[in-house]
Amino acid sequence: MASVKLTDVKKIYDNKVTAVHDFNLEIKDKEFVVFVGPSGCGKSTTLRMIAGLEDISEGTLEIDGEVVNDLQPKDRNIAMVFQNYALYPHMTVYDNIAFSLRLKKMPEDEIYERVTNAAQILGITEYLTRKPRALSGGQRQRVAIGRAMVRNAKVFLMDEPLSNLDAKLRNQMRAEIILLRQKLDTTFIYVTHDQTEAMTLGDRIVIMKDGFIEQVGTPQEVFDTPVNLFVAGFIGSPQMNFLKANLVKEGSGYTVDVLGVKLPLNEDQIAVLTQKGVGSQEIILGVRPEHTSVLFDNQEGAIECTIDVNEMMGSELHLHLSSQNDDKIIVRLPTVDLTKEQRASLAYGNKMYITFPAKVMHLFDPATERSLIDG
Amino acid sequence: MSETSMKRHMGLRASRTLANTLIYILLIAISIIWLIPFFCIVLQSFRVESTWQVGYVAPKVWGLDNYQKLFATDFPRWYMNTFIISVFTALLQTVIVLCMSYTLSRFRFKMRKPLMRFMLILGMFPGMLTMIILYRVLKDLGLTQANAVPGLILVYVASSGMGYYVSKGFFDTIPKSLDEAARVDGATRFQVLRKIILPLSKPIVIYTVLTAFMGPWGDYVFARYISFGASAGMNVAVGLYNWLTPDQINNNYTLFCAGGVLVAIPVTLLFLFLQKYYVEGVTGGAVKG
Repeated sequence: MASVKLTDVKKIYDNKVTAVHDFNLEIKDKEFVVFVGPSGCGKSTTLRMIAGLEDISEGTLEIDGEVVNDLQPKDRNIAMVFQNYALYPHMTVYDNIAFSLRLKKMPEDEIYERVTNAAQILGITEYLTRKPRALSGGQRQRVAIGRAMVRNAKVFLMDEPLSNLDAKLRNQMRAEIILLRQKLDTTFIYVTHDQTEAMTLGDRIVIMKDGFIEQVGTPQEVFDTPVNLFVAGFIGSPQMNFLKANLVKEGSGYTVDVLGVKLPLNEDQIAVLTQKGVGSQEIILGVRPEHTSVLFDNQEGAIECTIDVNEMMGSELHLHLSSQNDDKIIVRLPTVDLTKEQRASLAYGNKMYITFPAKVMHLFDPATERSLIDG
Repeated sequence: MSETSMKRHMGLRASRTLANTLIYILLIAISIIWLIPFFCIVLQSFRVESTWQVGYVAPKVWGLDNYQKLFATDFPRWYMNTFIISVFTALLQTVIVLCMSYTLSRFRFKMRKPLMRFMLILGMFPGMLTMIILYRVLKDLGLTQANAVPGLILVYVASSGMGYYVSKGFFDTIPKSLDEAARVDGATRFQVLRKIILPLSKPIVIYTVLTAFMGPWGDYVFARYISFGASAGMNVAVGLYNWLTPDQINNNYTLFCAGGVLVAIPVTLLFLFLQKYYVEGVTGGAVKG
């Protein structure tokens, strides 16, 4: 249990490539923070710097208020779970879990107690005498988690722990990690490239790209108020629709001119735009698939589209639409309230109408790619 | 199966059997040619009726006289010398080679690659080139002639770090994340090597020990040069060879054979026990992972 503070942390490799730029973040005690981003964004490098497996080129790293830049991994009191499990192949599951405790010269009966306890929590008691090669992927990952668990480390680091598992097992393990977190009640730092994992696990999410932090916030915050195009596109599945549009200032109000229709903004949005002194300009309009309103007939403010693909997901439909300018738009439509006729009308090639309510519209400056309203 | 395909099947099988038979005959012939000298030496060592070379193989009178006589000569001393040299060399060289290999496999430091290249090139020069200067140095240290044993250990061990290739290659196949997991678990670099890497590298450790033991066990050139005629500092190869000089051979030929048999025994035993690992060790790094 400890806080972790990174101040201006940088990673510059020998070949002068900068993998992480000025990383600033304060992680509170017992917080679950997820680093998420596409591959090569520096999230794993940052985690490995916290673990002590990579040198910190510049900046300071504090764990529990103590600067640990130059401490060896073994002296940092951290536990880590690796993507490829990294179990010791020549040891049994029991010995794998007991390894760190034996290094600490803990009495064998206490080791026994801790190992069996962890095994019980993770449901691997019957495998304790097996070698890792006799386990399935999911079981191996449990052992890896068990190995980290028994140490009562200050900080729990996880580097894409679920990436090697199949989809079903991944969902199951994700739920187990949430349970585990409640049981362990310690500081977690979790790295993933999967935004669903990030959203479901994290108290706070750190979204990274090309070595920079793009946004830090709770899952709700980064979903509702993405500060730039990258975050808007990265969080949420299917990803947010982006359309070329114009912001038009008319007197003291603003409207958005998109695909030939004029859509109003709400008071809050207008207040922010007015305060920032934004004039009429080209913008990129972002609307999430689930926030798009589907109209079955032509009304004022309706955008006419053609249905390209209708994906039936069970509880909802994913409609892939083309506008008259051939912009691609994806819409998520819950199936529960649809009538038979409405369902039938949502077939390939048919026309349909959509619109965007003010509160779900995200406005981005095409030049800076930053949000005009949030951040 | 139709009749024609059945016939073809039988034909293929017959030709394969024929090929195998020919190969086995060839292999057996080669083994016999290979084994004849050893076989002769063993037989000669039991010959009692004469001590010089004779025109027949099987002894006319069998006995252990030659072996008994060996113990009246300096042979036990040479044997002991060889044993001490080989054991110490094997131990020290193994430690050095494994540490070196681990370092080159896992650590990244400036000049790592140039160092590896330098050692590769240096290793291409025959060790004999250094003989004269080595002798001068060892003589100044008082480690020649009767004191040749520590001197020879020094010579054999000194350059052992250069033999890192095979074990480094093997270590490279062990995932680095195992090291990292162990280090996070609280292990020092040395504990990682001892508790994780070495247990996973048993074949290569045994291979290293065996080759390190075998080198000095059969060495003649350095041993001869550094003991420089002093019987107390000789190893078996040098000592036994002295019995084959023109003025000695007629008295000592069968004695030489008995000595040869005794020299072969520990190595043979070692190989019999460790053979399985030896084969794995030489090929293991190439395909694993």
